[in-house]
Amino acid sequence: MIKKLILIAGLSYSALFAQVKGDIEVPYIAYEIKMGKGFDAVNANCLMCHSFGYILNQGQQSKEFWHKKIDKMITHFKAPMTVEDQKTILGYLYQHYGNGKLK
Amino acid sequence: MKRRDFFKASIAASAAVMGTSLSAGITTRPIDGRKISKYAFPEKKPLITYSDRPPLLESPRSVFTQSLTPNDEFFVRWHMPDIPTHIDPDKYSIKIDGLVERDLDISLTSLKNDFEQVEVTAVLQCGGNSRSAFHPIPGGIQWGSGAMGCAKWKGVRLSDILDRAGLKKEAQWIGFNGKEKAAYYKTPNFVRELQLEELDDHVIVAYEMNGEDLPYLNGYPIRLVIPGYYSDSWVKMLSRITVTDKYKSLFFMDEAYRVPDNATESETPQKHFKSTKPITTMNVKSVIGYPENGASIAYNSQLVVRGVAFDSGLGIKDVKISLDNGKTWENATLDNDAGRYAFKSFRFSFKPNKYGKVTIMAKAINRLGQEQPLAKDVLWNHGGYKYNGIDTVTIEVV
Repeated sequence: MIKKLILIAGLSYSALFAQVKGDIEVPYIAYEIKMGKGFDAVNANCLMCHSFGYILNQGQQSKEFWHKKIDKMITHFKAPMTVEDQKTILGYLYQHYGNGKLK
Repeated sequence: MKRRDFFKASIAASAAVMGTSLSAGITTRPIDGRKISKYAFPEKKPLITYSDRPPLLESPRSVFTQSLTPNDEFFVRWHMPDIPTHIDPDKYSIKIDGLVERDLDISLTSLKNDFEQVEVTAVLQCGGNSRSAFHPIPGGIQWGSGAMGCAKWKGVRLSDILDRAGLKKEAQWIGFNGKEKAAYYKTPNFVRELQLEELDDHVIVAYEMNGEDLPYLNGYPIRLVIPGYYSDSWVKMLSRITVTDKYKSLFFMDEAYRVPDNATESETPQKHFKSTKPITTMNVKSVIGYPENGASIAYNSQLVVRGVAFDSGLGIKDVKISLDNGKTWENATLDNDAGRYAFKSFRFSFKPNKYGKVTIMAKAINRLGQEQPLAKDVLWNHGGYKYNGIDTVTIEVV
């Protein structure tokens, strides 16, 4: 009985390890983000650190909200965004994911 | 929140609603019933999916009928886009350095063989769980109620590891670093710092979850487990522990995962409270796993409401159920006893005897008498943290 138990323990160990011995592949999700003026800047800057899921999940928001998000990425996460790209991205986000309110 | 604070909070909330509604943040119930994605992530069933990079997965409500959350349905939250896609368990080790007598480099094998092995069943919950309840929306992922789970964790006491390294007498802070990496060199690393006095013997460095290796996306091969604390400090793919005498200023400590440092931990969207504090310990909360919103249930059939309740480890005393919008409350039966940090599962049987919509509310109360507020009485904070409103589902009796 004891031998059997040890055998089972041994087997389960190797099986568990086998799961992660190889490379892990996280699926790629093609988020349905809106195309439009300024999208190239969004694609080049935002996607470096996170998927479009992050943007879509916020829902329709004010211009100030999106401005603060861009600011957070620059100030706290050190995203190297040109001033021109910041403006372009804000315009894009507000046009496609804005709620019509400035604040 | 102390009981007294809770009453203060309720008063402040009603004042906010009655008075200057313009400046008040409003709290509703979090978004419920989001669709399960069609994508299965490694070692996971398809879950509610917010992002693939970094991976953000939420457990659906139905998972919370169980006191242990299955590994393949356990929520996932990473901060950085770059997580290693390959880990060799035979070569993995954690380094312990800083203000210690001996720098250590402990291999996974050594961790499993050269230390006392311990287990703790504990709830892991994101501080932003249920954030979608707050309006205007604070930034951050708009979680429903499923950024939480409970597992039996196995590993080694952090204190045993620190004893082996030998703390120098100036030691005060412990920094924990995992293997996730940012896209840019200048982006702050996801390092957490805890003060030595916060760490007790329940804190473990874990390699096993519910009897299996940690799932890759839950921090394989090693993560920190801090029972009673929100998950922001439970560092995944733990690779380094550094002991210091001073607190290092870090983004993920100074800016993220903080609440207003006042009695009600609240503020208004227009005027954020100046000083903040880390979210640390979890408040009392419960979630109904069954039935789900919109379920059709036959008249006079035997319905069993199931769910889970927990707090920071003080212990759940009662879970009460109301079927009349909070006018009267009846005790649910509490089931398991997997320790004070675990989900306490509850069940409540009744026969719906009127047709149409019936609302089921669940409210947990802990041993200190702290209880969940109504959703509308949870006070707003700009990070959208620590929501613990009474959970509610509405069914259709047919």
